[in-house]
Amino acid sequence: MSGRDAIVLAGIGETRVGKLPGLSSVELQAEAVIRAVKDAGLALHDVDGLLNLGPYVQPSSMFATTLAEYLGVKPTYCATIDVGGTVTGMTMIQNAIWAIESGQCEVAVCTFGENALTGRAVGVQGLKMDNLLGGEEWEEPFGVQGMVIPYALLAQAWRDEHGTGDADFGAVATVTRAHALLNDNAQMTKTMTQEDYLASRMIATPLRLFDCSLVSDGAGAVVLMRADRARKLGARQVAVRAVAQKTTHNSAAALPDIADLGMAEAGARAFEAAGMGPEDMDMLALHDAFTISVLITLEALGFARPGEAGALARSGDLSLGGRWPLNTHGGLLSQAHIGGMLHIVEAVRQLSGDAGKRQVEGARRALVSGNGGVFSVCGAMILEAA
Amino acid sequence: MNDQADLWAPMPHPTGFSATFWDHADKGELALPKCEACDALHYPPRRFCPECGGDALTWTAMSGRATVVSHSTVLTSFHGQDWVGQLPYVVVLVDLDEGPRMLSRLVGSDTIARGDRVHVTFAEVQGRRLPYFTPEGAA
Repeated sequence: MSGRDAIVLAGIGETRVGKLPGLSSVELQAEAVIRAVKDAGLALHDVDGLLNLGPYVQPSSMFATTLAEYLGVKPTYCATIDVGGTVTGMTMIQNAIWAIESGQCEVAVCTFGENALTGRAVGVQGLKMDNLLGGEEWEEPFGVQGMVIPYALLAQAWRDEHGTGDADFGAVATVTRAHALLNDNAQMTKTMTQEDYLASRMIATPLRLFDCSLVSDGAGAVVLMRADRARKLGARQVAVRAVAQKTTHNSAAALPDIADLGMAEAGARAFEAAGMGPEDMDMLALHDAFTISVLITLEALGFARPGEAGALARSGDLSLGGRWPLNTHGGLLSQAHIGGMLHIVEAVRQLSGDAGKRQVEGARRALVSGNGGVFSVCGAMILEAA
Repeated sequence: MNDQADLWAPMPHPTGFSATFWDHADKGELALPKCEACDALHYPPRRFCPECGGDALTWTAMSGRATVVSHSTVLTSFHGQDWVGQLPYVVVLVDLDEGPRMLSRLVGSDTIARGDRVHVTFAEVQGRRLPYFTPEGAA
């Protein structure tokens, strides 16, 4: 795609994040959509494509039409998409592009957000999802529920395979925290040193509290349209050069070896489709539900050799001013966990050059990664300033 | 370390098909579905072979011997109060000698490492017997 018919990301919206009592998931998504549409220089009645994911904290049917009614828009293309992690966001974007290309709509908004922190039913721990990963029969009887234990198994395997240790995990946590401190809209506001990381309590070996992402209320949204319309509006213009995904399994009971996870294939196909490689990227927005997610992703995508992602984080190359600044907004680890929607919002913000004090100088290309479940579905998306 | 007498677990809710796995477990047998068409074994049990889609499956006894792929010592309950009495407990991911990978709990020891040899052991929990793993050489 290029020229006047190319489709671009032209607007971004982000609500406050953290503890937002009294706000429902549909209200949060509506706010993010309104902000994104305004950012693109349009009005709500211009929106004829609407894609979202319903709240995991309160499973709902037909959540895209729920949001459409709430906003008062009457789309000609409406869909709820649930893939997993940031893969959901990039799959929404891919579907939006297809819908615009095929004439189903002209202005598509993709959004996710929920009140995961304050919206839980009283007495409910974790998300109110049945069969989270095929869990009741093959996981829960053996004490496996939620996402920490599956990622702990991956983290232990990675350490055993490469002889790596705490310092690698702490490097990801501290780099991300330093970036969150440059973001006024971040849940975590205190500096974190390697000593702070090591002092955080063990949850499920080898993962500590600071290896785990946050639980958050909030929402994010992006607007897509044809580049010529964005240009006339004076809106942002960030092109989607490639999206690729790979699913290998679902439950932790079917967890493959790290070498067999789908991230390497998704990344290789995205780079091939874009005609680019890791060396062409200016910044990284990697799904970081846990520190180990980042370490495995960096290696699978070719930014570090196997076992050396921690060294890359310690080298300063993933910090602002380094070669590949990582999660400049603070990520799921230190900004907020909005399913990775804010990774995409941040990448578009950076490539538009208005990230303020955390701007990556000269940023033109970003790699966004996602994984849902326990690397069950993996995705890679390459964005470029148009 | 949990003594087997202290084990607690939420009971599985089998389907009509997977109930056979748990019925075998109640008899102290680890049995997995084997595809008559392509000979593939699989876990977790499904009505259709994930290698070829075949629906002619024979429940086949496993040796119960396995090698540890990964492990985690769980120090926090993710299940509300239910699991607090089980903490700390060890989750293990193991490869059966016959091939399939299984997720379970380690019993009879609180230390384990990748590559360690383990074998299945069935412990009674609330009237059912569940398949756990224990290090080779342990009781």
